[in-house]
Amino acid sequence: MKHESTDQTKWYCDKCQRELELAKVKVKYMEGNFEVDLMKCPSCNQVFIDETLALGKMKEVEEGLEDK
Amino acid sequence: MNLDKLLETGDRCIHKEPPTCTAQCPVHLEIIDFLAEVEKSNFQNAYKLMEKKMPFHKIIGRICDHPCEAVCERNKAGGSIRISELEKAVLEYGTYKPKKVWPLPKNKGKVAIIGGGLSGLTAAVDLDKKGYTITIYEKSDRLGGRLWDFVDKGLTEALLQEEIKTVKDKKMAIQLEKPIDEVRLEALLTEYDAVYLGTATWESPLKWNSSTFQVEASTLFVGGQLVTKTESIIASASSGRRAAISIERYLSKVSLTDSREREGVFDTPLHFEISKHVALPPIEKSGEIYNPEEASAEAARCVKCQCRKCIEGCVHLRNFEMSPDAYVRQINHSERIILGTHYANKMINSCAECGLCKEECFLDISMNDIIHETRESMVERGKMPASAHDFALKDMAFSNSSRFSLVRKQPSKEESKDLFYYPLISFSDYVKGLYKGTGKTEYLFYPGCQLPASYPDDIKSIYEYLVGHIKGDVGIYLGCCGAPADWAGQQALMNENVEAIKKVWEEMERPTFILACSSCIRIFKKYLPEIAIASLWDIYVEKGLPNKDHIKTPQTLSIHDACGTRENSDLHESVRKIVAKLGYGIEELEYTKDRTKCCGYGGLVYYANRDQSNAFVNERIGESENDLLVYCAMCKDLFVSGGKRTYHLLDLLYPKDDGEAATRKMPTLSERHHNRSRVKQILLKEIWREEPEETMREDQFKLIIPDDVKQKIEDRYILMEDIQAVLQNAEENNERFCNPETGEYLARLRRDNVTFWVKYEKEENAFILKSVYSHRMEIVEE
Repeated sequence: MKHESTDQTKWYCDKCQRELELAKVKVKYMEGNFEVDLMKCPSCNQVFIDETLALGKMKEVEEGLEDK
Repeated sequence: MNLDKLLETGDRCIHKEPPTCTAQCPVHLEIIDFLAEVEKSNFQNAYKLMEKKMPFHKIIGRICDHPCEAVCERNKAGGSIRISELEKAVLEYGTYKPKKVWPLPKNKGKVAIIGGGLSGLTAAVDLDKKGYTITIYEKSDRLGGRLWDFVDKGLTEALLQEEIKTVKDKKMAIQLEKPIDEVRLEALLTEYDAVYLGTATWESPLKWNSSTFQVEASTLFVGGQLVTKTESIIASASSGRRAAISIERYLSKVSLTDSREREGVFDTPLHFEISKHVALPPIEKSGEIYNPEEASAEAARCVKCQCRKCIEGCVHLRNFEMSPDAYVRQINHSERIILGTHYANKMINSCAECGLCKEECFLDISMNDIIHETRESMVERGKMPASAHDFALKDMAFSNSSRFSLVRKQPSKEESKDLFYYPLISFSDYVKGLYKGTGKTEYLFYPGCQLPASYPDDIKSIYEYLVGHIKGDVGIYLGCCGAPADWAGQQALMNENVEAIKKVWEEMERPTFILACSSCIRIFKKYLPEIAIASLWDIYVEKGLPNKDHIKTPQTLSIHDACGTRENSDLHESVRKIVAKLGYGIEELEYTKDRTKCCGYGGLVYYANRDQSNAFVNERIGESENDLLVYCAMCKDLFVSGGKRTYHLLDLLYPKDDGEAATRKMPTLSERHHNRSRVKQILLKEIWREEPEETMREDQFKLIIPDDVKQKIEDRYILMEDIQAVLQNAEENNERFCNPETGEYLARLRRDNVTFWVKYEKEENAFILKSVYSHRMEIVEE
């Protein structure tokens, strides 16, 4: 589920005032546990999920797991 | 879930059953397919279908006595399809050179065929093909028997000779001028493994099994006119073929009787209604046989008999191209999966559970009940996708929380004393009703959750009307009946809800519930039969309409009955009486009353599959040119959203001056929450004159929401309070991302099992929303 948003380079973490970095992030849903590469703040760990990812690939995986 | 019982129900569905023409055809020509090919002028495909089922198709196709035509349903609407004439045309236009078939080695046994007529030749050819060594004994000097009678009466001598030659060309022994008598038969029975007797008569009586044609337990099998006792050509051929099957089974030592129920002529369980079809007379032949165009036109008259009653009425079954038998197989498969994907989930959650399928079915097969049971089973096994019904169940929880829920007895006479002294007020029915108060709650007005959400300003008026018109005290009970839990298959939650309602009912000394919502009525009947219920609409009919200025524009309306009221004919009549009394004309829809359709909300399909819900809406609103009249808040909401002018009964009973009622946009999901809370506040303040303990939740941040974002908020089932919570967290804790190029912020907050995201811009003291979205997947921030 690796995801690089088209405009994510422009975003930074407002809390830590740091640029986002691509990192391995754990995601969980129902019985599923994965590690995926997502943009996040290296300091506070806030993970950036844009609309395309949330309503596209992420939703697809959610639905796939729900039907397991 | 009892899957054996499920499959049995599926097997009862007659969707797949053959039409009468095929069932009454002794060799079961697939006539619908045959005619469909002719209609498309695919004569060769039609020819192949004849070849597949008809012995000596070139002969039978020309002289068949066509029992299929007498039973053709088209006969009731213009005249039977001329199937026999079409077979002749197909033999003319569809013939092709058959592929050479290599004969099997003849090592399966020896069979004697007595009689070289049609049935004997059929048995001989069939058994030869399977690898038996065949000897034909014919008393005359030629094969063909009574087929020779048809020369110049459908057959030419050349054709008959040619067909007989195909038999002769096979490696069979043919003994002409060999009459067989009883003595000779005895000898043949010892000499051969089996004997087929296909003579039209026999010297002594024989006893045979009517489905296997075996004579007692011997190796003798019979067929032809001896068995059929008719002149029918096709029956003769069929008997020869069936006896050959018996011989094959007998010599292969397998059961003679298994799975043969539908050999030969049988009665199909199919039930077909021709009444909807316009009568069309048969196409006349311009020559000796149909020309290709005439044949195609004649075949096009076939109505392709198939039971599609439930499918025709249901846009869900049509969307998924499902008949009940196929649907049941999918459910069965889904229920049995241990590891793997449950592909049927989406389909199962796209049914509106409206019950029209059962109403339409000749056999009362209820996909509604089957699907409902499946949903319960899915929940029980932890296989119900959480996203399907989560929003609706949270909405139900809201309605049963202190933000809406309320139980009150009618204000007592003592508490209302002050009202009796003001002449103007004291003359109102409501105050008169209060004056007659006894303290014993005879009735409890239970408006449900969606009606107060859609018509917050009318609940107080209705309550006052009830107090003023009904003998006995009327209390109020605000809450949700549990319909969402029922539709979602959440039995435990449903039972909990039922118990809570029962408790209030007991505490109030078992009053009659006055219900205004069709779903509440359905739920009370299903789960709370011990509670007496009355419909608000019945009460209006009985006690008179409220004293209001009704809309007086004479207009014809089409009434859309709520699917929850399907079995409630009294209610249907009450609604019609009210509409008529208000001065409106009524034009009934085709699907009405007990055959009504769902608006697209039922079964929570609105949440589980919005496309399917829209399909319900669009189909229904296209069924009438008139404005619609509904009496369920969700029906109104969906139809107006679909662009149809629709009145709710309350729009007519309690008209408002704020614009056109038939096009008034219904509240958003958040406004529905807000309205329910407001109803509680209004009632507490204005009826019970209490200061509500809970104040209305006010929005913390001022938002500017462009229309496209408003639409996203609704489509994505996001509440304003979710957005406010995200913003609050973002603003207080700086937990957000920032884009310096655009000045936009993006913030998230996990609430319960959903993460909400809000993209926004700040402008002075307001927030301009750019987008909102959510996901259920949890991101571990570590």
